[in-house]
Amino acid sequence: MNRTITVRPGLRDIPQGRLGMWLLIAGELVIFGAAVVSYLLMRIRYPEWGEQAQYTSTALGALNTFVLLTSSFFVVKAHKASLAKDSKNVVRFLSLTLLCGLIFLIVKGIEYSTEISHGFTLRSPGLVDSGQGVASLFWMYYYLMTGLHGLHVLAGMIAIFVVMLQVRKGKYFHRVELAGMYWHMVDLIWIFLFPLLYILK
Amino acid sequence: MKQILPENISTYGGEVDSLFFTITLFVVLAFAISIAALIIPLFRYRYKEGRKSSRVRGIGMKQMRWVFAGMLVMALCDFYMLYAEHSTWVKMEETLPEQEDFHVVITGRQWNWIFTYPGPDNKLYTADDVIVNRMNSSLHVPAGKNIIIDIKAIDVIHSVFFKNIRLKQDAIPGRTITRWFNVTKPGKYEIACAEICGVLHSKMRSYLVVQEEDEFNRFLSELYAEKQK
Amino acid sequence: MNIAHHEMSFWRRYIFSTDHKVIGFQYLITGLIMAAIGGYLAYVFRYNLAFPAESIPLFGSLGPKEYNAFITSHGAIMIFWVAMPLLLAALGNLLIPTMIGTDDMAFPTLNMLSYWFFFLSAIVLLLSFFVPSGPFDGGWTLYPPLSADAYINTEPDIWKSFMTGGTLIILALALEFVSMLMGGINFLVTTINKRAKGMTLLKMPIVVWFINFAVIDFMFSVGPIIAGAFMLLLDRVAGTGFFDAYRGGDPVLFQHMFWFFGHPEVYVLLFPSLGVIAEVISTFSRKALFGYKFIIKASLIAIVLSVVVWAHHQFIAGIDPRMATFFSIGTILISIPFAGIMLSYIATLWGGNIQLKVPMMWALGFIAIFLVGGLTGLYLGSDTFDIYVHDTSFVVAHFHYTLFPITFFGFFAAFYYWFPKFTGRMYNTVLAKIHFWFTFIFFQGFAFPIFFLGLDGQHRRINDYSAFDSLMSSWHISFRQFATISAIILILSQFIFLFNLLKSLRSGKKSEENPWKANTLEWQTTSPPPHGNFVKYPQVYRDPYDYGNPDMKEDYLPQNKVI
Ligand SMILES: [Cu+2]
Ligand SMILES: [Cu+2]
Repeated sequence: MNRTITVRPGLRDIPQGRLGMWLLIAGELVIFGAAVVSYLLMRIRYPEWGEQAQYTSTALGALNTFVLLTSSFFVVKAHKASLAKDSKNVVRFLSLTLLCGLIFLIVKGIEYSTEISHGFTLRSPGLVDSGQGVASLFWMYYYLMTGLHGLHVLAGMIAIFVVMLQVRKGKYFHRVELAGMYWHMVDLIWIFLFPLLYILK
Repeated sequence: MKQILPENISTYGGEVDSLFFTITLFVVLAFAISIAALIIPLFRYRYKEGRKSSRVRGIGMKQMRWVFAGMLVMALCDFYMLYAEHSTWVKMEETLPEQEDFHVVITGRQWNWIFTYPGPDNKLYTADDVIVNRMNSSLHVPAGKNIIIDIKAIDVIHSVFFKNIRLKQDAIPGRTITRWFNVTKPGKYEIACAEICGVLHSKMRSYLVVQEEDEFNRFLSELYAEKQK
Repeated sequence: MNIAHHEMSFWRRYIFSTDHKVIGFQYLITGLIMAAIGGYLAYVFRYNLAFPAESIPLFGSLGPKEYNAFITSHGAIMIFWVAMPLLLAALGNLLIPTMIGTDDMAFPTLNMLSYWFFFLSAIVLLLSFFVPSGPFDGGWTLYPPLSADAYINTEPDIWKSFMTGGTLIILALALEFVSMLMGGINFLVTTINKRAKGMTLLKMPIVVWFINFAVIDFMFSVGPIIAGAFMLLLDRVAGTGFFDAYRGGDPVLFQHMFWFFGHPEVYVLLFPSLGVIAEVISTFSRKALFGYKFIIKASLIAIVLSVVVWAHHQFIAGIDPRMATFFSIGTILISIPFAGIMLSYIATLWGGNIQLKVPMMWALGFIAIFLVGGLTGLYLGSDTFDIYVHDTSFVVAHFHYTLFPITFFGFFAAFYYWFPKFTGRMYNTVLAKIHFWFTFIFFQGFAFPIFFLGLDGQHRRINDYSAFDSLMSSWHISFRQFATISAIILILSQFIFLFNLLKSLRSGKKSEENPWKANTLEWQTTSPPPHGNFVKYPQVYRDPYDYGNPDMKEDYLPQNKVI
C-alpha cells in the first residue's frame, strides 16, 4: 500500500509544540492558582500568619527572585541563538540558565535549613505543642507552595538539560523555545509566590 | 397507599413538601412533552426506501422556534421554582427566629450523637451543662417551641438528619453551625447521620423525642438530678 | 517507513504502540476490564443491601468496613477508570484522527505515555485491594478528615501510610489526572492543527467538538483537585494538617477543591457521550443534525456555567447560605442550555427518515433515560429541597440516571456504531438488540425504586438499615430487593455483549466500508482503517451532515466526495 503523503505537516500556522506547551502551562497555572487561592483565603482568615512570615528571609527570597529573572534573560538569549541555529551559544546560555537554577535551589536549601533549625517544618511540632496550630498551618502552606515550585524548577532544569544535549548534537533547535516557555512559567509562578510568602508580613 | 414523603412534624417542613410537588409538576410536564416529542417521530418518520428527509437544519429563528419555546418554558419553570423556594431557604438557613425558646448542642463523633443541654441556669456553654454522650441516646425537645441547635463535630464530618423535620446539616470539625426548628407533634422520631463517617456509620442513630412542655420540664429536672448524682 | 512498521515487533505494535487506534483499543480494553470489576463490586454490595446477613454468592460475607470500601471503589472506578477511559480517552483516540482526516495524533509518543500513566494508575488503585487495611472506605469524594485518617496520628510512618487504601487511591487519581491531561493536550493540538484540507472548524463533526470541549472543561477544572490531592497526600504521609481543624486547617476547603473539579467532571463525561448521540441520531435519521451551531454555542454556555456551580454539592456543608442561593441559581440555569441541546436532538428526528438500527436504539435510550436524570437534577439544584434529599438514595438514583446513560448508553451507542469500522466485522444484530432491551429495562428496574427510597428519607452509604425502624418496613425491603435483583440481571445481561463482542471479533461477517452510509470521514476509508488511516488524505468539501440532498441520487453525501 502506497501512501501518497508520508510526512504530514501541521496544516495550520501554529507550530504544534508551542501549542502543546501553552496548554501544559495553562494546566499548570490552574494547579498553582488553586494553591495560591486557598493560601490567600487562609491568609485572610488568619491575620496572625503575618507573625510567622517574619521568619522567612526577604533578603534570600529577593536574591532568588533576582537569580530567576537573570535566568529568564539567559533563556531568551538562548532562544535567539537557537533561531540562528548557533548551537555553541545555545549551549552556553542554557548552561548559564542551569547555573541560575542551581543557585536558586541552593539558596532555597539554605533557607529551608535555617527555617527547619528554628523548628518550622511541615508539621512544626513545637508550634503545635505550644498551642499555635494555626501558625503551623502557615508553614505547611509555605512548604507546599515553595516545594511544589522547587519541583517545577527541577523539572525545568531537567528539560533544559535534555534540550541542551540535543542541541549540542545539532538537533531539535525548536525545543529551546519550548523549554524556555516552561522556564518562564516557573519564573512567573515565583513572581507570585515571592510577595505572598516573603513580603506580606 | 403510602405517601411519597415521610410524615412532617415541623412548622417549615410543609413548605418543603409543597416545593416537592411544584417541582414534580414541572418535571413530569417537561418529561411527558419531551418523551412524546421523542417517540412520535419514530412512528411518523419511519424509514421508507427512496424517501428523502427534510432539509430543515435549525438555522434562524423560524426553524429554531420550537427549541427556543422549549427553553423558554424550561426557564419559566426554573425561575418560578427559584422564586417559590427562596423564602423557605431564607427561613430555614439564613435566619433564626426572633424568639429562641430552647438551645441545645448536637455534636457528632464516631459513632454517636452527643447532646448538650443547658444546665439549670438555662445558658449553654457554662459549667453546669448536661452532656449526654452514648449510643442510641435521644434528643428531647419541647413541642411548639423554637429550638436552636448548634451543630458541631469532634473527629470527622457527620451530618445530622431529621427526616421528619426536612432538616439536614453537616457537622464539621472546627465549625459551629446554628440551625433551628419548631416541631409541633409529640412523638419519637429517628435522627440519622447522613455523611459517611467510618465503619459504624450505619449504626449512628439517635431519637428525637418531642414532648409537651410539662413533660419536657420533668425530663429536664430528671436530667439535672441525674447529673447531681 | 511503510515497510519498517510491518516488521515492528509484537511489543512495539500492540503494547508500546504509538498508533492512536491501538492506544484507543488499549484504553477500551482497560476500561471494560475495570467496568467488570466495578460491576462485580456493585453486585456484592447491592446483594448485601438487599439480603443483609446472608452470604453473598461468589463472594462470602461483607462487613461494614468492606461495604464502605466497596461503594467507594465502585464510585471511583466507574467514574475515573471506566467512564474516563471509555468516553474521553478511547473515543478521543479512535475518533479524532479518523474524523478530522489525519494519520495520527499530534504527539504519538505522548499519547502512548498517557496510556501507560493511566495503566499505572489502574494498577495502583487495584493494589489497594491487596494491602492489609484494604481499599479506601471513606466515600469516593475523599472528604477529610475521614480520608486523612482523622489526624489520630500526626507522626505517620511514611512507608506504612503509603501502603494504605487511602494513600493509594489518591496516588492513583493523581496519576490518572496526569494521564488525562497529557491525552487532553494531545487531543486539542491534534484537532487544532491536523485537520484535513477544507475541514474548517464548523465542518467538524459535533463529536469532535464535544470531545475537545470535554478536554477544555477538564483542563481548567482539574487544577484544584490536583493541588487538593497533593495536600491530602501530605496530610496522610507527612503529618501535615491542611484539612485538620485543630491546627487551623479547613475540611470544607477540600470539598471546594474537589467539587470545583467534580461538577465539570460530569460534563467531561457527558460531552463525548452527547457527541456520539448526535452523530448516531443524525446518521440514522438520514437528516442533518438540527441546530449544529446552536448546539455548539449552548454547550459553550454550559461549560462556562459548569465551573461556577460546584458548591451545589455543598448546600448543607456549612457554606454561607447566601452564597448557596447563587450556586442554586447557576445550577438551575444550566438546565436551559441542556434543554436546548436535548430538544435539538429530538428535533433532528422530526422530518427524518428514521432507521431503528442498533446504535440508534442506544441513542434514543440515552435520551429517554438522561431526560429523567437531568430533570431530577432540578430537585437537587433547588437548595431548599436539597437540604432534605442531600445524601439520600435520591441522589444515588439521580446520578445513576445521568451517569449510567452517559457512560454505558453513550459507550454502547458508539460501540455498535463504530465497531464495524474499527474491526472490519459486523456484530450479531439480534443479540445486540436483546442486549439493549435488557440493559434498558433492568436499568429502570434498578434505579427507579431508589428514587422513592430516597424521597422517604433513606440516607445513603449504609450497609444495614436495621438500626432504623422507619426504613425497615416491608415496602422498603422489597424495593431494595427489587432494585438489587434488577441490578444483578442488568450486570448479567452484559455477558450478552461480551459474547457478541468475542464472537463477532472471531467470526463476524465482514463489514463494508460504510455500512450505515454516513458522511463523516472515518467511513470513507477501509474497515478497519490502515495504519495512517487514509490511503490518500481526504479533502473536505462540505459539512458532515449533508443527508437527503435532493440533487443527489443517494440520500447521503460524504464530506470528501467530489461532485
Ligand atoms: Cu456520622
Ligand atoms: Cu454538580
